[in-house]
Amino acid sequence: MAQSKARSKVRGKLRVGLMPTPPDQPAGVELPSKPVTTFRWVSTALALALVLWSVLKIDAKWSRLIDAPGDMWTLCTVMFSSMEVNKISGLVGKMWESIAIAWLGTVIAALLAVPLSFLAADNLVGRPIAWVTRQVFNVLRAIPEIILALAFIPIFGLKPMAGVLAIGVGSVGTLGKLFYEVIEGINKGPVEAADAVGASRLQRLRWGVLPQVAPEITSFLLYRFEVNIRASAVLGVVGAGGIGSALAQALSFKDFGTAGLGLIIVVLGTIAVDTISGAVRRRIVAGSTPIVKPDLNDPTKFEARMDDFGGN
Amino acid sequence: MTTLDDAPPPVLPAKPGVSTFAVGGALIAAALTIVTARSVGFSLSEIITNFTRKNSPAEGLLHPDWGQIWSRRSRTAFIETLQLAVIGTAIGATSALPLALWSTTFGNPNRWLRMLVRSCNNVIRSIPDLLWALLFVTAVGIGALSGLLALFFFSLAVTTKLTSDTLDGIDMGPIEAANASGASLTQMLRTAVVPQILPSYTSFVLYNFELNLRASAVLGLVGAGGIGQRIEFFRGAGRWEELWGLVFMFFLVVFIVERISVTLRRRLI
Amino acid sequence: MIRFSNASVTYPNGVSAMKDLDLEIADGEFVVIVGLSGAGKSTLIRAVNGLVPLTSGELNVNGHDVHALNRAGLRDLRSDIGMIFQGFNLVDRTTVLKNVLMGRLHEVPTWRTLIGKYPQADIDIAARALARVEIIEKTYTRASDLSGGQRQRVGIARALAQDPSIILADEPVASLDPPTSHVVMRYLQQICRELGITTIVNLHFLDLATTYADRIIGLRDGVLVFDGPGSECDDTVFESIYGRSLTADDTMTKHGAL
Repeated sequence: MAQSKARSKVRGKLRVGLMPTPPDQPAGVELPSKPVTTFRWVSTALALALVLWSVLKIDAKWSRLIDAPGDMWTLCTVMFSSMEVNKISGLVGKMWESIAIAWLGTVIAALLAVPLSFLAADNLVGRPIAWVTRQVFNVLRAIPEIILALAFIPIFGLKPMAGVLAIGVGSVGTLGKLFYEVIEGINKGPVEAADAVGASRLQRLRWGVLPQVAPEITSFLLYRFEVNIRASAVLGVVGAGGIGSALAQALSFKDFGTAGLGLIIVVLGTIAVDTISGAVRRRIVAGSTPIVKPDLNDPTKFEARMDDFGGN
Repeated sequence: MTTLDDAPPPVLPAKPGVSTFAVGGALIAAALTIVTARSVGFSLSEIITNFTRKNSPAEGLLHPDWGQIWSRRSRTAFIETLQLAVIGTAIGATSALPLALWSTTFGNPNRWLRMLVRSCNNVIRSIPDLLWALLFVTAVGIGALSGLLALFFFSLAVTTKLTSDTLDGIDMGPIEAANASGASLTQMLRTAVVPQILPSYTSFVLYNFELNLRASAVLGLVGAGGIGQRIEFFRGAGRWEELWGLVFMFFLVVFIVERISVTLRRRLI
Repeated sequence: MIRFSNASVTYPNGVSAMKDLDLEIADGEFVVIVGLSGAGKSTLIRAVNGLVPLTSGELNVNGHDVHALNRAGLRDLRSDIGMIFQGFNLVDRTTVLKNVLMGRLHEVPTWRTLIGKYPQADIDIAARALARVEIIEKTYTRASDLSGGQRQRVGIARALAQDPSIILADEPVASLDPPTSHVVMRYLQQICRELGITTIVNLHFLDLATTYADRIIGLRDGVLVFDGPGSECDDTVFESIYGRSLTADDTMTKHGAL
């Protein structure tokens, strides 16, 4: 097309200064030697080897992969074509139960984590105590809520309480870690000032630490609540109450219509909570200067933010 | 001193009250807590009685069977969990990069397509991993393949969100330069955008792997492969000591992997 | 050749940045555009390679009606026009070489770009461009490790690597100190004279304008108010372009002395 030849006629050959040198002349410009990047090559090779080994050795029926999209499609059509309107209120009630479990669990976790986090901040209690508390947090963070739920069900029965405690205990680790990082990130200024005027430890906390830290803590709590919604939706699968149990039951009884409806309600409910919580969080943080600046290049702070997906 | 006592005290400006937003928020939170506590049947006394009562899970917790590491079946399940996590991360996290790019303004000039991609991302993100596993087990059958598919979508959810957030904060300068030199959209993304986020993105992939490792441990609870199936087996049989032994051993490994991953991530930046 | 005929640009927010512009720039000219902030300098420059579309009027660049070009045609046009930015617009995390190779993107097939293996011929062109701005020893240095002046030289090399017939420079020296500014302006002038590349530069330091420009174009509120050789420009002329008396900020030497 004539339009694509927008270049001027000179472009047939390169201009003086950028022309390749004729063969009988000495070589043109030489680039300096290229630096070596062994670490990158070795680690990429290792990663690829790991992936290759996994793909070859895993005991999965790959033949089913071809049918998988079709199977999913069939499932979806069956689920969404046989939905019954009268089931909606029941399922919404179950979703509310999941939300309630998540909220209560988060509150309990916060009540437990806030005081504990002060014990983990080394600018407040000193290294040894802080270290011990932090290891406790790490252990709690590592165990998924659902396993905790498995343990709590025999104790509390197949009731929502089991779920609440599973989420509560599970979140203490993550919240505690986030909180103590916030506490450590604060300006030492007001704390020192309180110290200088002879405030007691408790007063130091109240007037030096708390005002700086309140908006950010609230924001983290809400974020954790959003994550816990997903966890609580799932806990029902093992029987700890909420919409997960309704979904699992429906699927096992091949009541696909109800399952499809339940799925939609889960998606909508989660998105709704995310939106409201997100808006509130933005409002809170907007009115304050962030103590821990979201620094995506600092892996430690990064973990604190990313843990939001973690304890599921 | 005289100067402070004589004159009438100056009038202070009106004290700013605590923001109505904060007060309202606190009230709503409190109300919500009470309402939820009621509907869930929360009772502190019940908790205490139940915890102090003799029960098998707690007893098993006190005497976990550390011998689980030697059990052949547990080891096979363990390796399967590892493999699930690796493949799920490899395919899922790598697919997340183009998906995240496709949801940005500069990566996807078509407004409707962009909204479609963003909506899909939102829906995928709101389905928890175990629910994905449940769906796939129902559609495709029990086994590692369902776990793999579930982890794929879960990885997409996690990594796309993190990558999108990072993409929101990149420097637009090189993008303008690439466009001004006549590069195509793909070339512009590859040379002006990807280098900016590559360290963060790799960090996300490593993090995703950690999450997948944990997730793949529980997927077996619904039959999607991995040690979850062993856990379910022990639970059904009431063998709490072995269950806890397995759990602790596994999560010890996860913990170690996490430490390695954090050091690797630090090295990246 | 670049020709604006009765060209106007009005942004969606209502701001009129170019009003009925009639301007012709011949091949190989070295043109400097001066004017206050908001006078329309950036708009004019970005209109040439189509980054800012005209609201009315015509713009003809190298024989092509810019308005009529489709996306592929615009890319072809832009590959023939190099651009240099005030903020350098380099990819900080990658090497100088990779940055300069960005100038070859239009000519290199996409699959090669994706895996990062550029043909040797294009690498040679990049090498020559780097040699021309005398920064070849920094080829494998990360862009973020360079000084401002060095970064702008890489920017020039990137534009040169395109083998363009036109170079647009939007306030190329605004972030640089006086000696470095002169170095950069001298490179631009040399490139224009030796390679015959039409060069259009936006400047807000008037003494730089008179030192380096063959032709000066003055804009005020989107209207062309002066068009003539640099020798004709003295303080009175500049004052009429700016519509106010000159301050120390308007000349680099005086500004640098502050």
